[in-house]
Amino acid sequence: MGSSIRWKTTLPLAILCAFLLLFPKLVGSYFLHLAVSGILAMILASSWDILARTGQVSVGQAGLFGIGAYSSALLYQRYALPPVLGMLAGALIATFVSIFLGYLTLRLRGIYFSITTIAFAEALTVIWLMTPDITGGAMGVSTPPLFGGDREKAYYLILAILAAVVAVVWLIEQSRLNFAFTAIRENEDVANVLGINPTKYKVLAFMISAFFTGFAGGFYSHYNTYIIPYEVFNLGVSIACLVMPIFGGLYTIAGPILGTVLIKAIEEYLRVTFSYGHQIAYGLILVLVVLFMPEGLLGLWRGKILPLFRSRPGR
Amino acid sequence: MRKDAPAKMTLLQVDRLTKHFGGLAAVHDVSFHVGEREIVSLIGPNGAGKTTIFNLVSGVYRPNSGDIRLGGESIAGLRPFDICRKGVGRTFQIMQPFPKMTVLENVVTGALFGRKPKVSMKTAEGEAVELCRLVGLGDKLKAFPKNLTVPDQKRIEIARALAVRPKLLLLDEVMSGLTPTETDEAIRLVLKLRETGATILLIEHVMKVVMGISDRVVVLHHGEKISEGPPFLVVDDPKVIEAYLGKMVDGEDEPAC
Amino acid sequence: MDWPSFFQSIANGVLIAGLYASVTLGLTLVLGVMGIVNFAHGELVMLGAYSTFWLFTMLGIDPLLSIAITAPLLFLVGIFVYRFTIRPILKDPPLNQLLLTLGLSIFLQNLAMILWKTDSRSVITSYSGMSLHLGMVHVGATRLITFAISVALTAVLIVFLHKMRLGKAMRAVSENNTGSWLVGINVQKTYMLAFGVACALAGVSGSLVSTIMYTYPMVGFKLSLKAFCILILGGLGNISGALLGSLVLGLTESFVGTYVPEGSGWAEGISFFLIIVVLIIKPTGLAGTRRE
Repeated sequence: MGSSIRWKTTLPLAILCAFLLLFPKLVGSYFLHLAVSGILAMILASSWDILARTGQVSVGQAGLFGIGAYSSALLYQRYALPPVLGMLAGALIATFVSIFLGYLTLRLRGIYFSITTIAFAEALTVIWLMTPDITGGAMGVSTPPLFGGDREKAYYLILAILAAVVAVVWLIEQSRLNFAFTAIRENEDVANVLGINPTKYKVLAFMISAFFTGFAGGFYSHYNTYIIPYEVFNLGVSIACLVMPIFGGLYTIAGPILGTVLIKAIEEYLRVTFSYGHQIAYGLILVLVVLFMPEGLLGLWRGKILPLFRSRPGR
Repeated sequence: MRKDAPAKMTLLQVDRLTKHFGGLAAVHDVSFHVGEREIVSLIGPNGAGKTTIFNLVSGVYRPNSGDIRLGGESIAGLRPFDICRKGVGRTFQIMQPFPKMTVLENVVTGALFGRKPKVSMKTAEGEAVELCRLVGLGDKLKAFPKNLTVPDQKRIEIARALAVRPKLLLLDEVMSGLTPTETDEAIRLVLKLRETGATILLIEHVMKVVMGISDRVVVLHHGEKISEGPPFLVVDDPKVIEAYLGKMVDGEDEPAC
Repeated sequence: MDWPSFFQSIANGVLIAGLYASVTLGLTLVLGVMGIVNFAHGELVMLGAYSTFWLFTMLGIDPLLSIAITAPLLFLVGIFVYRFTIRPILKDPPLNQLLLTLGLSIFLQNLAMILWKTDSRSVITSYSGMSLHLGMVHVGATRLITFAISVALTAVLIVFLHKMRLGKAMRAVSENNTGSWLVGINVQKTYMLAFGVACALAGVSGSLVSTIMYTYPMVGFKLSLKAFCILILGGLGNISGALLGSLVLGLTESFVGTYVPEGSGWAEGISFFLIIVVLIIKPTGLAGTRRE
C-alpha cells in the first residue's frame, strides 16, 4: 500500500527531474533563455510565498531583488568578486536588510508592512538615482556575460537555486515552523497566547524570503549583463512576485511554480501584443483570483476538478 | 467583605491592578489571588472587567498600574508568549480555533511552542492526542473546526490551552451557549482537570457552574472588586445582590437555572 | 538668512499640501467608514486627471469647470467598482482586500498605458502661466486656485459628515456597524455611497492634478504613495490627521527641494523616507490612531 502511493508521487517527480536536467540538450538557445527567466521567476514566487505563509503581504520584493542585483554587480565591478560569490553576497546583504526592515515593521499589523515595503522599493530607486557615484545612478551598471555567455551553465546554476528553494520550503513544511507560520497567519493574537513570538517568526520568514530573492537578483544582474534602477526596483517586479503564487495557489510547493509557468506564458503573449501595459494581466488576475478562486489554481483543481474524476467510478 | 488567608500556596497574586482605556477605567485597583489547585470564578455583570483581567494576566494588555505575580514572579507587562511559557494557558470568550488546521494540529501548536524547554514534534503530537482524548475529541482528530459543534469547538480551545501545560488555566465562558446536558459534561471535565492538579481561574455567567465547582468567587462590578469568598457566602452579600442579582432576575444570562 | 526663499518654501509647501489633502481625503473616507485601504484610489485620481485632459483637449472645457463632469463621472465609476469588486469582499480578511484593490490599481495603470501610452500630458490654460506677488512670495495662479478648491472641498466634506443625514450615517457606520444597523441605517448602502463619494473626491483631485502636474499612467500610484505617507503621519482614518499629515509632507518636500543640494530629486523620495522614519519613531502615526 504505502509503497504504491510512494511510487505515484516519486515516479512523476523523477521524470520531471530528469527532464529538467536534460532540458538544455533538447532545446535551442531561445527556449533555454525562456526557461532561465521562468525559473528565476519561480524562485521569486516561491520566496514570496514563504513570507506569505505568516500572513504578510510584501509589495516590495523588488527592493530586495534590486539590492541583490546591485550588490553582486557592484562587487564585481569594484572588487572583481566572482559572480557566484557576488550572488551569495547579494543574497546575504538582502537578508541583512530584511532583518532591519522586518524588525521595524513586522511587529505592526499587516497593512503597515505592505505599505512600508512599497515605500522601501521606491525609496531605493530615489537613493540609487541620486547617488550615481556609488550606485551608477540612472546609467546603471554592466557586467560581462555570466560564465562567458554559456547559457547551459547559467541554466544549471539557476535550476540548482530553485531546487534549494523547493528543498527549504519542503523542510519548513515538515518542521515546527509550519505550525508557527500557519498559526500566526490564521490568528496572530491566539498564536501569541500559545507561546509563539509572532515577530520572531515573521522576521525569520522574511529573511529566508529575502535571501533567495537577493540571490535571484544577483543572478539576474550577471545573466542580463546590465541593470538600471528603474528596472530592478520596479513595482512590476514586486507585483510579479505576488501574482504568480496567488494565481497558482498559496502556501504550497507546486502553487507558485504552476502560477509562474502560466503567467509567464500569458505575459509573453501580451508582450508581443502591447508595447506597454502587458502587466494588465497581473491586475486582472489578482482581482479575479480574489473574487472567484481564493485558493488559486491548485484550490480549483482540488475543489472542483479532482472530485469530477473521483466521482466517476461510483456512478 | 471576606478575606480568606490563602489555605494553600498562592499561585497567582493580582495586586491593585488597574487598566484604563482612554479615560475609562476598565479595571480599577483589583486585588485577588488564586491558590494552587484552587478553582476560582470571576463573576459580574457584562462590562464588569472580567475579560480585561484575563487579557491583563495573559499579557494581551499591559496594566497601567499594579502587579501580577505567578508563583511569586512578576509577569505584569510581559508579552503574551513569554507569559504563556511561564505557565499560563487560556481560552477565548469567542472561540478562535485555527480554521485551516485540524483538531489535532490546533492542539499540537500549543504543545510545540507553549512551554520551556521545547519538545520534539513527535512528543508534541503524542501529548496532543492524549489531550484530545481527555477532552472528548479522541475520534475527531482529523476534523476541521468549522465542521464541529459548538461544544466540540470549546473542547478544542480547552485542549489547546492545556497543551501548553499551564500551571494556571484561564477559562473564559467555556460553558456559555451550551445545553444543560453539555454544561454537565463540561463541569465534569473541569472537575477532572482539577483532579489532575490544575489550577483554574474561570469567567462564568452560568450560576449553576459557579456554585457547583468554585472554591472561591471574586465578584467584579464596574471594574472594581465588590466581594470575594466562598460561593454560598458571596451570593448572600448585599452588594452582590444589588449589583449582580438584579441582572440575574432578568434571566438573560441564566439559561441553565 | 535668505527670507524670500524661506517664505517661498512655506508657500509652496502649503499650496501642494492642499492638493495632497484632497487626494488623501477620499482614501481616509473609505478607510474610516469601511476599514479598507484602497490601493486603487490614486488610479481613480489618475482617471479624473485624464478625463480632464481629454475634455480640455477635445472639447476645450476649462479644467476647473470640468470638475462638474469628473466628480459625477468618477462617482459612477466608484459605484460600479464597489458593486462588482468591493462588496463581495467586505467581510474578507484584510489581506484579500489589500490584494483586490492592489489588483485594481495595477489593472487601471496598465489600462491607461494601453489606451494613452506612457506620454506625460499637461493641460495649459490661458491662466497657467500667471502668478501673483504677495510680498516676497510668488504664487502661481493655478496652484492658488487648486489650493482654494481643496480647502473648500475639505470644508464641504467636514460639513457633510457632521451635518447631513448621509454623512452622519457614514460616521455612525465607521464607529459601529452593528449598532448602525440596529438604529435603521442601511450599512451596505452607506458603504456604497461612501465609496462613491470618495471616488467623486478622487475625480475632483484628478482635475486639480491635471492643472499643476503632468498626467501620465503612473501619476496616480505616485500620489497613492504620498497619501499613504500622509495616512501614516496623521494616524489612519481621521480627517484632521490627514490634513496635518498633508502639511507635514508638503512642507518637508518643499524645504528639502529648496535647501538640500539636488533637493528636487530627493524630494521625490521624501514620502518614502517619512513612512519608514515614522514607523521607527512612533508606529501608530504621529497623531495617534483609532484603528490598528
